[in-house]
Amino acid sequence: MSAEKPQITLVIDGIEVEAEEGAMLVDAAKGGDIEIPVFCYEPKLGGPVGACRMCLVEIEGIPKLQTGCSTAVRDGMVVYTRTDRVIESQNAIVEFLLVNHPLDCPVCDKGGECPLQDISMGWGPGRSRFSEPKRHFQKPVALSPLVRIDRERCIMCYRCVRFSQDVAEDEQLQLLERGAQSFVGTFDERPYIAPFAGNIIDLCPVGALTSEAYRFRARPWDIEDSGSICTLCPSQCNVMFTVRDERVQRVFPRDNDDVDNGWLCDKGRFGFQMIASGERITEPTVSGAKVGWEAALDAAAERLRAAGERTAVIVGGQASNEEGYLAQRIARRALGSPHVGAVDELSPAPLHALSAPELGAAVADIDHADSILVVGVDPLHAMPVLDLRLRKAVRHGDTRLVVASDRPTALDGGAEVTARYEPGEAAELLEALERQLTRPPANPGTPGREAEDVPGIGSAGREAEEVPGGDSGAESIAGELRPGATVIVYGERVGRGTGGEAALHALAGCARALRCDADRAGLIGVPDGANGRGLREVGCLSGAGPGFEEAAAGRDLAEIRDGLRAGDVDALILVQADPVRDLPDGPAWAQALRQARAVIAISCFEDASTAAADIVLPAEMYAEKEGTLTHPDGRLQRLRPSVPRPGDVRPVWQALTELSARLDHETGIDSASEALEAIAAEVPFYAGVTADEIGGRGVRWQERQAAAACPPAAEARGERRAAAADSGRPENGSGGGALRLGTYRDLWAAEATERNPAIRFLAPAQRVELAPADGARLGLGDGDQVEVRSNGTSVRARVALHERIRPGAAFMIEGTATENANALAGAETVEIERIAPAPGAPGRSDRSDAEPAGS
Amino acid sequence: MTREGEARMGETRLLFRHIDEPGLASIETYRRLGGYRALPRAVHDLESQELLEALEASGLRGRGGAGFSMGKKGSFLPRGEMEKYVCCNADESEPGAFKDRELMQKNPHQLIEGCAIAALAVGAAYVFIFIRGEYWEVADVLDRAVAEAYEAGYLGADVLDTGNRVELVVHRGAGAYICGEETGLLDSLEGKRGNPRLKPPFPAIQGLYGGPTLINNVETLSNVPHIVRNGAEWYKRFGTEQSPGTKVVSVSGCVRRPGNYEVELGVPSREIIFDLAGGPAKGRRVKAWFPGGSSAPVLTEAELDLPYSFEAMAEAGSMLGSGSIIIADDTVSIPKLALRTARFYHHESCGKCTPCREGTNWTAKMLERVTRGEATPMDLDIIASVQEKIIGHCLCVLGDSMAMPVGSMVSKFRAEFEEEIRAAASSASRPGAAGGGRPGELDHSGFDSPLTAEVEAV
Repeated sequence: MSAEKPQITLVIDGIEVEAEEGAMLVDAAKGGDIEIPVFCYEPKLGGPVGACRMCLVEIEGIPKLQTGCSTAVRDGMVVYTRTDRVIESQNAIVEFLLVNHPLDCPVCDKGGECPLQDISMGWGPGRSRFSEPKRHFQKPVALSPLVRIDRERCIMCYRCVRFSQDVAEDEQLQLLERGAQSFVGTFDERPYIAPFAGNIIDLCPVGALTSEAYRFRARPWDIEDSGSICTLCPSQCNVMFTVRDERVQRVFPRDNDDVDNGWLCDKGRFGFQMIASGERITEPTVSGAKVGWEAALDAAAERLRAAGERTAVIVGGQASNEEGYLAQRIARRALGSPHVGAVDELSPAPLHALSAPELGAAVADIDHADSILVVGVDPLHAMPVLDLRLRKAVRHGDTRLVVASDRPTALDGGAEVTARYEPGEAAELLEALERQLTRPPANPGTPGREAEDVPGIGSAGREAEEVPGGDSGAESIAGELRPGATVIVYGERVGRGTGGEAALHALAGCARALRCDADRAGLIGVPDGANGRGLREVGCLSGAGPGFEEAAAGRDLAEIRDGLRAGDVDALILVQADPVRDLPDGPAWAQALRQARAVIAISCFEDASTAAADIVLPAEMYAEKEGTLTHPDGRLQRLRPSVPRPGDVRPVWQALTELSARLDHETGIDSASEALEAIAAEVPFYAGVTADEIGGRGVRWQERQAAAACPPAAEARGERRAAAADSGRPENGSGGGALRLGTYRDLWAAEATERNPAIRFLAPAQRVELAPADGARLGLGDGDQVEVRSNGTSVRARVALHERIRPGAAFMIEGTATENANALAGAETVEIERIAPAPGAPGRSDRSDAEPAGS
Repeated sequence: MTREGEARMGETRLLFRHIDEPGLASIETYRRLGGYRALPRAVHDLESQELLEALEASGLRGRGGAGFSMGKKGSFLPRGEMEKYVCCNADESEPGAFKDRELMQKNPHQLIEGCAIAALAVGAAYVFIFIRGEYWEVADVLDRAVAEAYEAGYLGADVLDTGNRVELVVHRGAGAYICGEETGLLDSLEGKRGNPRLKPPFPAIQGLYGGPTLINNVETLSNVPHIVRNGAEWYKRFGTEQSPGTKVVSVSGCVRRPGNYEVELGVPSREIIFDLAGGPAKGRRVKAWFPGGSSAPVLTEAELDLPYSFEAMAEAGSMLGSGSIIIADDTVSIPKLALRTARFYHHESCGKCTPCREGTNWTAKMLERVTRGEATPMDLDIIASVQEKIIGHCLCVLGDSMAMPVGSMVSKFRAEFEEEIRAAASSASRPGAAGGGRPGELDHSGFDSPLTAEVEAV
């Protein structure tokens, strides 16, 4: 927390107003219930620009009128906002703004919720003396497939341009031309396509920028706004659903500085169309037959009773805490099965250590951190709104950003140091970093001494462009991180696979060494699933029940899959989970689901996993749900139903309790709030939490008294070295055709992209990203169709050459609708072969002589 | 600029002392005629504080338009080690101003010496001369002179072996009036769209690349070597108490000898216009004159005897500005002059703030209507009112730069506007009369947007 600024008193229009010293006058005036009209002022965009001149006020002692948006208040200041001079200026500005405005309010989407209308009525002269022809543009034109622009309505407040340049930093939007001929546009009229582009719709104070998905769908007087949470990614942005006729028509931010700073990504903004989709599952089915709830639940119970402890449960990342809790409870208490997992699977011991309340950072801590370490995650893809937050911290100049990742990230440009390790080798870098951070003050006599202690480190073939992994990279990182409060943002994926556990242990060691338990410092883990953290804390993981209570160890996800295929696991319950798409080795999962004796899927849509399910129960979508989520920083947030459930859909908590009752385990839970009560009773560090306490803003459990009840993590350092030891990794593929495979989840590689017509065009086709040197070596150019092979499986992709990819590595997208790279999962190296060889160039991937790329 | 080498009667030449000496632009000639004497003194004998004090004591006021004390402006820069900058504003774009051009083209080293001393005074290691792109020939001259100065050790990492660093870069603008506005200049220099910034923070605190920056006009900086060499007391012997020194005045318009004349501030304006520039052609009278470039409110014949000083011009409701006198004689139509003025500022408005963007546009459209005879006297009230609504409400002074002269023309020559409307209306109503352009359409030539649809006015 930054130091409290002293309170001062000023007089505005004769009213004494208390304000924080240095606050801008327009903000301070609100404290006295005085409104100073503004157009261009928007603190979310950074400092004031003073362009619209709407906020001119008179200040005693200053001869000229001053802009209230840029004047910091001082003690004893005397301000007038309604003198003749000020009123004259306000009238003048409104008259000027309307000179070129078409005044087409009756057909404008903004009509009724338009600041220009409101300010014209409140502060304008009420008439115009302008009788010249107005400025004309072609209108409305598509600024992008998502946003239409009507340049005649634009009042040139610069908000959208400032968002693009100063917040998202994509710098695509520009003001073109000059003076009265100025207009907002892009270079060469290219579409403005960027992950956060939709925010300009909310920022626009007139009807110049309108949403393609909302145009002409509703009027402000026939809608209701309903606050909830977006569950499409771990950002868990606070949103408002605009509802008309019981359908969500629009999503916009419900500004919460502790979560999202008031921004949304386009997936969250336009992802609502699928809620009212005709493709929704609305009735329970057994073997494809619509049988109604009672028969379906009876059939499910019968099969589960038969499977008993040979049942497994997998919970999807979007499930609420209540759903996760009830699902694990069915497995553990109704069926006596220890096989519980969430799609975000990690081993509990090191995670538990990283979840310790004193090590947790709040999202807002990023704003004031002295240094930030981003490890193994590209927030733009995994938790988009966090990307804007990190940019903001760097932009303000006092924060040093360090990025350590296998794949280049969107944040690299702002980083002091970028350490690039090979796919899957986060553990080595983190262990080297831990050694750097924990070793005694530098002893110049023995440089690099510790590098020799662990074989492989420092000698691995990481060519230094930015900074390699290993000790030298770790040293550069350590040099940037040492002083002051450090926030670590890590992708929980670093904890997967061989060496994953070691990576998490090393991360915990780094966190301790960097004093992440101090004020303003700490860790934020980015899970894959929106509610990855909450599901773990309510017991959706193997070997730990609600609140990390020790539980019998069960199978991990791969073992569940193999068990299904081998007949050791009989039944599987999928709670809004699609393992075929979201887990490694999708084809094996598809086979496992087909071979399973019973699969019970609770799902919103039909997908590859429900296709193999015997019993399918319809699930609610997030806008229909009641429940709670836990943000990656520990903030409990409330989902509130905004629209009714379609058809025969029942709440998932209800389906689970009814199923439980049929299995002779009566939960006694008859509502979502009772499910929360049960969680609060079982998870010691959630103790006593209620929906009312969570409220609209959420509450971080680490900041509640009950946090002290979080059981301390066992020191697991003894076991870790074994995990870190030789992982049997193959040599980097600089010889031959083999490349190290890294996969990542693209922002748009999601069901939400495909099920929403507005953003369907963003769904990515599979591609394999290579360093240009490897492209040249393999005779592959940008856009070449290739087959990527490993262990007998193959995925088709197009080649994308990227300068910033390290030679020897290949990156592909997980979770695409087709040609999903998870088919290759488990593969450490891949071979790449061109499908249609370019004329004159042999398509063999194992060519040893170089071929120029991009033929 | 057909002027003999010697100073005319009434001229007092300081900056122009050797202006027509052949080869003055070379470092040898400049040195031979007494140049580069002030810089060694500044770098060897004086502390930066003393330099600033000398500049402040001299009373030197900025010659770019605002007339703010240069020494005071320099003293606003924070002391201490940090990246500080000096920017020389050579974006001389004000219609009627051409003094900086001659100063740079003929005596570039005087400016370079002034820039280097200013940098030493405020502790800046970098100087940028932002010169308008149209002055490409002048920029070439400057480039050559800068190279000579580096060669001679007056610029560089170790100025005259004293360990002081002064680097100088000549940057060519891309041709926009707004880039002569000091903060627009900074944005342009940083590679951004040249738009003015909100002040405060003033450039002295947070300017180029966020560092404290001293911005001064070419003529202001060209005065600096003389002050450092001869002392503040000597300098104050020229000019008036509130406007010390001399001023290079660009005289243009309806005069027989247009050109640059250097006079002591405070001489009667009539002497500059009639004795030096020759006054209007025989039989013509001065109808209106801009005392300080096209953005100064116009004065009339009755005000010709005003002393040419910052304070006298301000008192008369106008301004000395950049010191550029434009004369309109009795053949000039004031409404057309107003339209020409408004069109210039409408074209050059950057569009960032509302009153300037919309006000210049509205004014130009109304004045077009006036000259087409489609206006009524009531429209003149609206024109006057629009000017009042621009003045004092803008982000920078560009809007005021149109509103003040146009407003002054409408108020001082209202009868002529009314006559213009009557005359234009009667000629426009005759078949075949030259109207020029379709009704209701503003002449956008040269700055039409490709996206503007051709839509007829209703």
